[in-house]
Amino acid sequence: MMTEEWRLLQTGLLSAAENMAIDRAILVAHSKGHVPPTVRLYGWNPAAISIGYFQQLTEEVDLTACEKDHIDYVRRITGGGAVFHEDEVTYSFVIQEKHPQISKNILESYKTICLAIMNGLDFLGVKSTYAPINDILVNNKKISGNAQTRKQKTVLQHGTILTDVDVDKMFRLLKVPNEKIKGKMIANVKERVTSLTHELGSDFSFEDVSNALKKGFEETFDVTFTTGILTDEEKTLATSFQKTTFGSKKWNHQR
Amino acid sequence: MKMKSVYKVPDGKLIKIFIKYNASSKTIESITIAGDFFAYPEESIQQLEQVLRGKPLDEKKLETMIKDFVKDNQVEFIGVSPASITDAIMRCK
Repeated sequence: MMTEEWRLLQTGLLSAAENMAIDRAILVAHSKGHVPPTVRLYGWNPAAISIGYFQQLTEEVDLTACEKDHIDYVRRITGGGAVFHEDEVTYSFVIQEKHPQISKNILESYKTICLAIMNGLDFLGVKSTYAPINDILVNNKKISGNAQTRKQKTVLQHGTILTDVDVDKMFRLLKVPNEKIKGKMIANVKERVTSLTHELGSDFSFEDVSNALKKGFEETFDVTFTTGILTDEEKTLATSFQKTTFGSKKWNHQR
Repeated sequence: MKMKSVYKVPDGKLIKIFIKYNASSKTIESITIAGDFFAYPEESIQQLEQVLRGKPLDEKKLETMIKDFVKDNQVEFIGVSPASITDAIMRCK
C-alpha cells in the first residue's frame, strides 16, 4: 500500500485569536475532505493565555495583569485548563474520525496522538512518558499538555511542548483559587513542570523541535508529510472565525 | 442568592460551580458548570445547565437527572462524572 501523504503547515508566530481560528478553519476544511489530514506547528506572538472551553475567563485570568504585560488571551474550543503560551512549540492535528488509525474511543486517540509527540521528543534525545489523560512527562515532570475536540466527525487535538517556562510570570497572569496558598502553589508547579531548555540546555531551535515533531508523526502514523500552505477556503474561514468567535468579547467571556 | 463551589475531583479535574439560587422557591435559578475537564460534545454542558434550571438542590434527584442526561445524550466526560458534578453542586455555598 502506498504511504499516505499528509499536510504539514508551519505558520510561525501568530496572535491567540488567529491561532485558534486557524485550527478551527482546518477542522472545517478537512471535515469536508477539501484538505488532507494536517499537522500545524506554530507559536504565539504576543505571548498569550488560552483557557479551556468550560472555564470562565475572569475566574482564571488576571486581565489587568495581561493588559499591563501585553499578553493576549483566548478561549479555546477544546476543554482542559488555562495555559500560558510563551516559549513553546504548539501543534495542532486534524484528522477525520473515520481514519483507520484514529480510535473511536476518545481516551485511546489521546494516547495515540500523544505517542506521536513522544516519538518526536525521542528524536530530540528526550525520553518521555504518557500521563493520561492529556499530559506528557519527562523525568516525571510535565513538558506537554494536550486537548482534543471532535466536531463534524473530525478530531482536532492541539497541545504544547514547553521549550522554556517562567512559572512566576505565569502566576502573575493566572488567578489561583486561594491567594493564601499561592506561594506554595508556585513552588509546587516549579517542581512539577520542565521544559526542553531544562532538559537539553539552550542548544536547540524552534525548527529542531518542529522537525522532530514532524518525524514523530511520520513514524507513529507511517505517513509522509508535504509542506503546504493554508488554502483560500481556510484563510477565509479563519478570518471569519477570528472576527465572529476567537477575537470577540462575547466568545471569550461567554461562560 | 449567589453560591459557588470549587471542587477537585479525586484523580480527576477541577469543577467550579456558580449557582443563582432562588431561596423562596428553593430551586436553582441558573447554574454554570465550569472547570478544566473535558466533555464530548462540548455543547452538552450548556444543555445540562438548562436542564438543571428550576430544580431543587436535592443530591439524589440531581445525580439521577445528570446520569439520565448523560445517557440520553450520549455525553462522554473525562475527569468528571455525574456523581462528582452532583458533589460539586451540593458543596455550593
